[in-house]
Amino acid sequence: MPFLEAAATQSPTIDEWLLWAILVSPLTAWALIVLYFRKIPAVAGYLAIAGIGISCLISFVTLFNVIDADGAIAQHTHEWFTAGDVVVNLGVRVDGLTAVMLVVVTSVSLLVQIYSTGYMAGDSGYGRYFAHMCLFTTAMLGLVLADNLFMLFIFWELVGLSSYLLIGFWFHKPSAAAAAKKAFIVTRIGDLGLLAALLLIWSRAETFDIAGIHHWAASGEASDKIVTLFALGIFAGAAGKSAQFPLHVWLPDAMEGPTPVSALIHAATMVAAGVYLVARFFPVFEVSTDAREVVAWIGAATALIAATIALVQTDLKRVLAYSTVSQLGYMMLALGALGYVAAIFHLFTHAFFKALLFLGSGSVNHGTNTFDMRKMGGLRAKMPVTFWTFVIGSLSLAGIFPLAGFWSKDEILLDAWRYDRALWFMAATVAFMTAFYMFRAIFLTFFGEYKGGEPVDHHDPDNHFHGDPAHPHESPWPMRAPLLILAVPAVLAGLLNVDHDFGDFINHALPELPHHEGSTFEWGIALSSLGLALGGIGLAWAIYYKRWVSSASLRELFLPLAGLFEHKYFLDNVYEDIFVRGIFHRGWNRLLELTDRYVIDGVANGSGRLVRGVSSGLRPIQNGLLQTYGLGFAAGVIIFVLAVFAANPL
Amino acid sequence: MNGIDLVGPQFAVLIAAGMALLVDALLPRQRRFIPLVALAGLALSVAWTISWVSRDDYQSAFGGTLALDKYAVFFYFVFAGIAAAVVLASIDWVKREGRGEAEYYALLLVSTAGYMFLAASRDLITIFIALELSSIPQYILAGWGKDERSSEAGLKYLLLGAIASAVLLYGMALLYGFTRTTDLGGIADAIVAGGSENRALLTLAVALVIAGFGFKMAVVPFQMWVPDVYQGAPTPVAAYLSVGSKGAAFAVVTRLFFEGLGPDVASDDWSMIFAVVAAVSMTFGNVMAIVQTDIKRLLGYSSIAQAGNIMVGLAAVSVAGEEFVLGASGVIFFVAAYAFTNLGAFIAVIAISQRIGSDRIGDYAGMWKRSPVLAGALALCLVSLTGIPPTAGFWAKLYVFNSAIRADLAWLVIVGVLNSLVSAYYYLGVARTMFVAESGEEATFRPPLGLSISLGLATAGVLILGLVPGPLLDAAHDAAETLALVS
Repeated sequence: MPFLEAAATQSPTIDEWLLWAILVSPLTAWALIVLYFRKIPAVAGYLAIAGIGISCLISFVTLFNVIDADGAIAQHTHEWFTAGDVVVNLGVRVDGLTAVMLVVVTSVSLLVQIYSTGYMAGDSGYGRYFAHMCLFTTAMLGLVLADNLFMLFIFWELVGLSSYLLIGFWFHKPSAAAAAKKAFIVTRIGDLGLLAALLLIWSRAETFDIAGIHHWAASGEASDKIVTLFALGIFAGAAGKSAQFPLHVWLPDAMEGPTPVSALIHAATMVAAGVYLVARFFPVFEVSTDAREVVAWIGAATALIAATIALVQTDLKRVLAYSTVSQLGYMMLALGALGYVAAIFHLFTHAFFKALLFLGSGSVNHGTNTFDMRKMGGLRAKMPVTFWTFVIGSLSLAGIFPLAGFWSKDEILLDAWRYDRALWFMAATVAFMTAFYMFRAIFLTFFGEYKGGEPVDHHDPDNHFHGDPAHPHESPWPMRAPLLILAVPAVLAGLLNVDHDFGDFINHALPELPHHEGSTFEWGIALSSLGLALGGIGLAWAIYYKRWVSSASLRELFLPLAGLFEHKYFLDNVYEDIFVRGIFHRGWNRLLELTDRYVIDGVANGSGRLVRGVSSGLRPIQNGLLQTYGLGFAAGVIIFVLAVFAANPL
Repeated sequence: MNGIDLVGPQFAVLIAAGMALLVDALLPRQRRFIPLVALAGLALSVAWTISWVSRDDYQSAFGGTLALDKYAVFFYFVFAGIAAAVVLASIDWVKREGRGEAEYYALLLVSTAGYMFLAASRDLITIFIALELSSIPQYILAGWGKDERSSEAGLKYLLLGAIASAVLLYGMALLYGFTRTTDLGGIADAIVAGGSENRALLTLAVALVIAGFGFKMAVVPFQMWVPDVYQGAPTPVAAYLSVGSKGAAFAVVTRLFFEGLGPDVASDDWSMIFAVVAAVSMTFGNVMAIVQTDIKRLLGYSSIAQAGNIMVGLAAVSVAGEEFVLGASGVIFFVAAYAFTNLGAFIAVIAISQRIGSDRIGDYAGMWKRSPVLAGALALCLVSLTGIPPTAGFWAKLYVFNSAIRADLAWLVIVGVLNSLVSAYYYLGVARTMFVAESGEEATFRPPLGLSISLGLATAGVLILGLVPGPLLDAAHDAAETLALVS
């Protein structure tokens, strides 16, 4: 296939079976846990670590192998089955983009498993937890490795299903069960778009192969409209999983799951899947300007909306959740602004520092039994490791030189600047707010007086909190070690692209090198973003540490806005109260119930009235029930015949 | 092939029905073997069909009234499989009911033979007789239970079925009057020769025939009997109705449009009518299913929605061209996938209700703890009904939707996909009740042997078709192509 020829000449030489092993290893762990070790916690945890550890190891081997080949593409495809005239394949594809994603997914997943052995200790569903984790990791790896859209879609759905299980892990908590359902339904709305794209490509291009679709879009054999529709379908799927406005509402609620799950799913992997998907089909988006505009503006809007909501959250984990939504918006913005490298680079650095922050919040929760920042404070001295790693993660997220986040965010801002100044302005505002809300969280959580945490409710059977929230202490080593390990890439990962090594590496995953100039460093952009970040931190310091201005009076000052942010722009209310509860539950469902009870069931009542009549002498014929029924059928026939004549066939 | 060989598969099933009655009359102590006799008859029938396939011997028989082609053979397998699963699923219920064991299985088998004839018929008279052969035993079976609800279901089904048959017969009579032949091929020729004369009459005739089969398919507006009959009839019988009569009706109508009307008549306008019926059925079934509290009623409404899904393939059939085959193979693949899935769901419901004595969805709370096997199997089938991979239902939906896209029915696919989303709400709602809700009852249980086997087969089918759909898709495609060749 000529269009497979990328700029690099030689393909990665890694053996095919090793690539499949990345997928099979956690799957085996899942099967073993489900079949044999669900009830044996110790084994389940270590099996999960072993299964994902092996994948992680092979992922690094793959990465180095692909680096040797300069990020070129290797593809191994087998025919799965033929459906009509379309061949559906089962295959794996590695290139720079895949290799980066593999390493991010497996390494974060591995650290999260290790952390979980501490965090989940004593939970009654310990085995089940690790089984779900393995299944999720498998699905995510399959999504990344798939060489065709069909296989990708199947793993995409599997990711959705397994994350449903994980978010609803504590399903006896009604809030968790509701959050799981919300996540599943909302992301499925996006998935409809992906399914539509799949059907479209099936009928138009008759190939699912990713390289084939790249070629199809670039060759101009399809009209611009079709390519745009396909791209928008892909983006709809991505918007659901990556929590883009207006489908972002599920992500903050999904924080009801265990915190390590949030670190894995909602920081590093599943939410990044949408960004990955758009990047995977980046050549299609390059062709369609319209689709790209949509991606850029939706991304920018998401970044801004989520950042403003994060300003007013009082729950530490929710701050991180909205921050994640905001950063995902950043990545989409970058993709829309032709910043393929910037987006993936930010995905890469963000995975590490955001996982670090989530695990840090989990560690705080482990000591205080709460995520409510109003009940914390002064934890700096009591949890030094958590504190310092959290600060590193926050500095990185805020974009302070020379931490990882600085470099990747800088590239996004640069791409936005070049593409459209309005986008840059929105992104820069977000950068300022990001620094502010992260340091607001730090000052509330780690400085000042400790406010006692949440007392342990010993009557709650699900609560297995150990220790005393009144005297918080540092978390155990299985939890501390991942924090320290993640702090390293959170600091250093940004240096990878200083010489464009990272960019060149993943650029080779595209069929041809981008037509536009890759980002280079620009002092103006870098200094301004650094200035904004420092300004945000300074403002947080003034308000929440020095308390020169009281936050209450600030809230008064900005009251209409603050209210809007606190109510999350009333989107949840619109969705839940008006749509779900108001229209659906009260009106619509009630109507249906009545219809079922009185019209359909009542016509010849399902409770046996009819037959009681029969036994007392053929009464139903007289009492009209059967006539009504027969009339219903006759009416059906007449309506149908009239409809047929209306359409006038023959 | 010749002689008895032509009707061998049906003959084997009917012989087994007679044997069942004989065993009951002559060896009353050996009654427990009656289900085995039924299964043996079905196995023989399958073996016979396989021998045709291996001989590659396809032909028409009895003056062209039966077409023993790949299309018919595909459905022979489907119906024999359905009957076998229902026999296995009935054993405990029939034994508990304690009367007419032999008659129950005999009626079931006679009805199955009727389905097989239906799949092969290419003559209006044969179609009608085969339809009655399959329907009359069903009316009796629907009223088999001792309670009032079952009797009422049987009576309702009988009376409405009679009206539907009358409508069908009226349509057939008009069709005969128009074409002077009952042979599907002859009808097609006569329509072409007849030109535009009396077209209105022909339209009416076809509309009435479709209305008559619409009753069996359970599509809107001929669906009103479904929830009541499913709820009232014994659950194994409801399972049989939900997959058997629906599948047979789609088999006949698809053949009718291919062979009896030909691409000229099966024009875009019929496509539009099928598309509208499909859209309305899906929407009505799914929306009504949301509020159900009884699992059998829920499955009843869900079966209306699924009939709408199958009809999406029929809408694509009516469009001339290459999509002809794609739509037809979509229909028959869907019927097979749906048979596995819905039987699995019903069998799990049978097993659960035998134990807890209730069909209320609320009483399924905590089923995951009480019987992980049943809860898991039911959840799998519900996932397949929703159309989530990797299950049979996913491929079935994808395949018919694809055929509709090719037939330029994108709007119908959008309606279908949105409907899948709605259906996820109630299908997964049942799953959620089983896995999430707590129940006071903790005692665990396992389903009895017959149910376990049939449930195992059905769920294995759902999973295997989900993972390796290729062979069956190919078979469906081949079967549809034989129809295309005939026309």
